[in-house]
Amino acid sequence: MLKLNKYLIEFAINSILRDKTKNIFIFIVFSLLIFILSSVFLVTSSLQKELNLTADSLPDIIVQKMSAGRISAINTDIADEILQIKGVTNAIPRVWGYYYFENAGINFSVVGIDQFETQYKNSLKQITQQYDFSDLDDFMIVGKGVKKVLEQNYYKDYFNFIKPNGDFKKIKIKAVFNDNLTLESNDMVLVSKDTAYEIFGIDEDKATDIVVNVANPVEVKTIAYKIKMMFPDTRVITKEDLKISYTNIFNYKTGIFLSLFIVSLFTFFMIIYDKSSSLSSQAKREIGILKALGWKTDDILKEKFYESFLLSFISYIVGVGVSFIYVYILQAPLLRDVFMGYSVLKPPFELIFSCDIKTFALIFFLSVPIYIAATIFPSWRASIVDADEVIR
Amino acid sequence: MIKLNNIFKQYISNNEKIIALDHISFTIAKGDLVVLKGASGSGKSTVLSLIASLTKPTSGDIEVKNTKISKLSDNFASTFRQQNIGFIFQKYNLIPNISVKDNIILPLIPTNPDELFVNSRANSVMKLFNIEHKQNIIVRNLSGGEQQRVAIARSMINDPDIILADEPTANLDEALSLDFIKTLKELKDLGKTIVVATHDPLFFELDFVTKTINMKNGHIVE
Repeated sequence: MLKLNKYLIEFAINSILRDKTKNIFIFIVFSLLIFILSSVFLVTSSLQKELNLTADSLPDIIVQKMSAGRISAINTDIADEILQIKGVTNAIPRVWGYYYFENAGINFSVVGIDQFETQYKNSLKQITQQYDFSDLDDFMIVGKGVKKVLEQNYYKDYFNFIKPNGDFKKIKIKAVFNDNLTLESNDMVLVSKDTAYEIFGIDEDKATDIVVNVANPVEVKTIAYKIKMMFPDTRVITKEDLKISYTNIFNYKTGIFLSLFIVSLFTFFMIIYDKSSSLSSQAKREIGILKALGWKTDDILKEKFYESFLLSFISYIVGVGVSFIYVYILQAPLLRDVFMGYSVLKPPFELIFSCDIKTFALIFFLSVPIYIAATIFPSWRASIVDADEVIR
Repeated sequence: MIKLNNIFKQYISNNEKIIALDHISFTIAKGDLVVLKGASGSGKSTVLSLIASLTKPTSGDIEVKNTKISKLSDNFASTFRQQNIGFIFQKYNLIPNISVKDNIILPLIPTNPDELFVNSRANSVMKLFNIEHKQNIIVRNLSGGEQQRVAIARSMINDPDIILADEPTANLDEALSLDFIKTLKELKDLGKTIVVATHDPLFFELDFVTKTINMKNGHIVE
């Protein structure tokens, strides 16, 4: 079995400690680079997971009424007519909207729910099975984020919604749901459909939009086309359209960070290039001394390998470790806002855990081996020169 | 023990060819203490570097302990040096920011030795050269004489048969130089073959010196 050379490793550790200032600088730059890269990857990965989950829970088709180029309330009768189209499994009028809570400067997504209707997505189905909605006229179920914001504003058990006519509508908090889909459910307030009509001041024969589900996913486009033909004053959005729209916004923001990533990598490679193209006269002399004392080129390269591996690997681990703390414990202050954009108007939510081993392997292979090679190469060049020439 | 046969060594410095040794030959027997005498630039240090296989001759053969070291590859030359040669450099060539003991054990490290063996060898040479009490001191904090003792101890750690010393007293006062000469005598008594390159007159009248080789401009002169 290969026996590790304890003295060679000790010498490598000593070498790192001997050149403290230089190595602390390299450690900080290296860890910072890894920290920035892995933080960006962790946040994007977390948001991507969230968006994928959200997109998957979307209905196949959403039908909105357009009036003067703007969305307006749609007649609920249209749902019955859509239901007549072959292949449509359900068409449900939704009553929902954003309620701006001025004190906190944030929006809640208020969703009207009818326990006896078919729910258009699984998360709502689970909630209707979990809670008793028979008396929801005076109660609401809120997301974690909403609960937190309300408590911060001294609304512990209830909240006073202000209706369009200026009257108050006092609604008690019945429960807080703990959904896996943090981004989607965090800012959500579930009320009965009647209450939602009251809060938004919508007529009872109207709805915000109509969601349509289709039995065969291949037919979604055709059915969307048929709906558009039947109701020309509507806007028909398919799940695919929404996914593309989400992805475009997300990719645009990822693109900004990709530029930053390239700039950081460029800086890193400049340092590496500088390191690989020169070796201090003291370092060359030390290599010469070791050769003169009987060290082979292999021994010197092994020692340099241990030295650069220890420094770069520790920096890598620290960088990745700190990025996990920054993203999942501190919730990525600053960075998250850049990615979330418009959602600063929404209640705060938690970044869900998502860790792609391949990404960390990529960061590892783009940094640690390159640094090791950049350290070993000039040492190899110095060690193949006659020791006599170096130490004279 | 050591045979130099028609050695020619040429350096290129600033695109200029410099002849360091011009076809020299001599032999050193086992247990000899040979002094290479001559002014700076006479080629003394080059002879030591060639015997230690730190560099190769431009032409000619060098045989040390029946091995043609001038033909050895870089790695074999290192192994040969590690096993047979102890080199005391003019400027000691210690690593200044590690401890005395860490400097002394450097030649043993490539052999991946046991801790017990390392400690026993290190203690024995540190005791021999009276630096045991300084073993944990960082070398740059030592005096010139102490640094030289560390360099000698380091050259002895692998128990070499051949000891080469390049201008060993150049940075020492007379008292320390005499101490060093005393040490050389002790090493000779241990059966070591010693080659000293120096222009210090203290070495020229020593009764235990086997042979003095006078060098000038890369030639051996009578």
